[in-house]
Amino acid sequence: MTRKRMFLRMITASLLRRRSRMLIALLSIGIGATILAGLVTIYVDVPRQMGAQFRSYGANMLILPREGENLTKEDLTEILQAIPEEELVGATPYQYVRLDMTSRQQSFTAAGTDFTGVVRTSPYFSVEGAYPAETRQILVGREIAETIGVKPGFTMELTFQPSAAEGSLSPEESRVPGASLSGRGEGFGGGMVYVTALLNEEAGIDRITVDVSTQTPEYGGRIPEDDAFLAQFRGKSLPLVLGEDVDALSGATVTSGAIVDALNSAVQTGEAARPRTVMFTVTGILTTGGEEEGYVFLSLEDMEAMTGMDRLDVAELSVSAGAEQLERYAEAITEGGEKAQARLVKRVTRSEASVLEKLTALVFLVTLVVVLLTMICVSTTMMAVVSERRREIGLRKALGASDRSIRSEFLGEGMFLGLLGGVMGALLGFAFAQAVSVNVFGSSITFQPLLLPSAILVSMVVAALSCLLPIRRAVAIDPALVLKGE
Amino acid sequence: MSLLEIRDVSKIYGELKALDRVSLHVDQGEWVAIMGPSGSGKSTMMNIIGCMDKPTSGEVLLDGVDISRESSRRLTDIRRDKIGLIFQQFHMVSYLTAVENVMVSQYYHSMPDEEEALEALGRVGLRERARHLPSQLSGGEQQRVCVARALINHPELILADEPTGNLDEANENIVLDLFAQLHREGTTLIVVTHDPEVADAAQRTIVLEHGRVAREVINEHFGA
Repeated sequence: MTRKRMFLRMITASLLRRRSRMLIALLSIGIGATILAGLVTIYVDVPRQMGAQFRSYGANMLILPREGENLTKEDLTEILQAIPEEELVGATPYQYVRLDMTSRQQSFTAAGTDFTGVVRTSPYFSVEGAYPAETRQILVGREIAETIGVKPGFTMELTFQPSAAEGSLSPEESRVPGASLSGRGEGFGGGMVYVTALLNEEAGIDRITVDVSTQTPEYGGRIPEDDAFLAQFRGKSLPLVLGEDVDALSGATVTSGAIVDALNSAVQTGEAARPRTVMFTVTGILTTGGEEEGYVFLSLEDMEAMTGMDRLDVAELSVSAGAEQLERYAEAITEGGEKAQARLVKRVTRSEASVLEKLTALVFLVTLVVVLLTMICVSTTMMAVVSERRREIGLRKALGASDRSIRSEFLGEGMFLGLLGGVMGALLGFAFAQAVSVNVFGSSITFQPLLLPSAILVSMVVAALSCLLPIRRAVAIDPALVLKGE
Repeated sequence: MSLLEIRDVSKIYGELKALDRVSLHVDQGEWVAIMGPSGSGKSTMMNIIGCMDKPTSGEVLLDGVDISRESSRRLTDIRRDKIGLIFQQFHMVSYLTAVENVMVSQYYHSMPDEEEALEALGRVGLRERARHLPSQLSGGEQQRVCVARALINHPELILADEPTGNLDEANENIVLDLFAQLHREGTTLIVVTHDPEVADAAQRTIVLEHGRVAREVINEHFGA
């Protein structure tokens, strides 16, 4: 048998065969380790738990398009790659426009959004009725609902007025492949000429069709059959100037002019610029206590169909991560994206960070107190154990044990206690943390594999430190005491 | 050849002279009893010979080494290597079995060897009781375990402090027989006792009184 095995045999025998005494020491270490392991487990898990709690206060990050850039849903999907899926609680795109309710002569801010996202990023939204689930359904803010007197089930007609309808047509708005424009001009003898143009992708004319039934058949009336005349318009951009862009058909100068006028006017009142009106069904009334009560919400699909635009004004993100991590994500998105930048909602991230800071301090303090109490407890018990075993220690010394042997035996016993206490602490501590987590946060936690070795290590160190004073006492025992026949 | 040579040794505790210029010697292989009433200096003598105390003055040569001037660490080494101790109160480690108690002595000396420890227990007739805890052994059995423990490392000197003080006559005889056996094998024995019968078993008896050697008695019947 090796010395090492004999050493282990001695210290385990001491603990196992002297159960009652060592049980007290074991309990002190075990309870201490339980509280510590529990606290640490909760502490490690709390940022996640708190994060989930904080996520109910809404989005903590915003994605905004850069100046002059058009941010689309596809762009957003790409940007979201920067955040791990498991940390992304939700991402909700928004497109804001003014919609008119012509029947009431009112206009509202309308948000086109994704309602499955809204539920995640704005969990505090309170809806009387239901969120829209189908197309042409709408959620109305309480303020608006009260003003115009709608309830779930009511319908309302909303109109999108493109800015073009007020005078000028922006090139973007008419740059829709295959869009058609139609207009009219005054022809020969006061008769109206109607022209429809199909636009190509450069907003140039692809082809035109004309209605010249009011014109003299022998003159203006033959234009529809004159392919050479009509071919002149192909590829031309509006507005046109007669005699420069296109030549008048000889003998039908007035009618030709009317066609050019009709096209020029069509640019400004084209199909793309025509107001679009949609009938919506109200599914719910939204209460938030905030400015959202003055908005109406519809699906992004409905909104894009109405406006013909696929730009996003903002995307709200709810990310379950600490303040520093959020900062890193925001930086990565801002630096990596040409189209968008990320901003943190400081109001939310700051309060989260400050709560965590206070919690850290609290856990640290409690840990310190528990470690101290445990050490006092173990030290006192070991002190009693040394007194109780004075004769045995004297005997060992009389048999030739060096101070070093005595020291390592007691340290060995202490650390063995620490080992048992650590295992007990890790398991009970996890159960304790689980109970707290379920009762306080209402969610369970996963066992951290590192908990076991670290709990064992810490309790062994604490036990060893607690043994230092008792060991000094043990070493000071006089071996001669065994001879005196006490 | 003397194994132990005590020259002019005094031990003074404050006003009390526990030992007063004592000189004595013990030869290699000799069996000596030290007798005397309480307070005669027996225990002090035992402590000094057992390397657990140092004299105030004088020399103590154990196997040629002056142990009166050594550091306590050196004294521990010397005690471990040269002396086997037997106590009146038996003194076993209460949570270790008989054989483990013997092995503790091996552990501090060199290397624990369970076979050898069991053999030693066999010598004192306790091989069958090797796995018993001290609480399961009688006083006599415990003292026999202590004898086995004292001889396990083959010490040059066995130092026994009232080894039979707590034993009945039958067990006393068993222990004395074991001593006689060890003596025949050449082990030096010093037995501190106040029991004349135990002293009679030795070759020579040194009687201490008031810290001095009062007389020495040679046992003429020794071996008879």
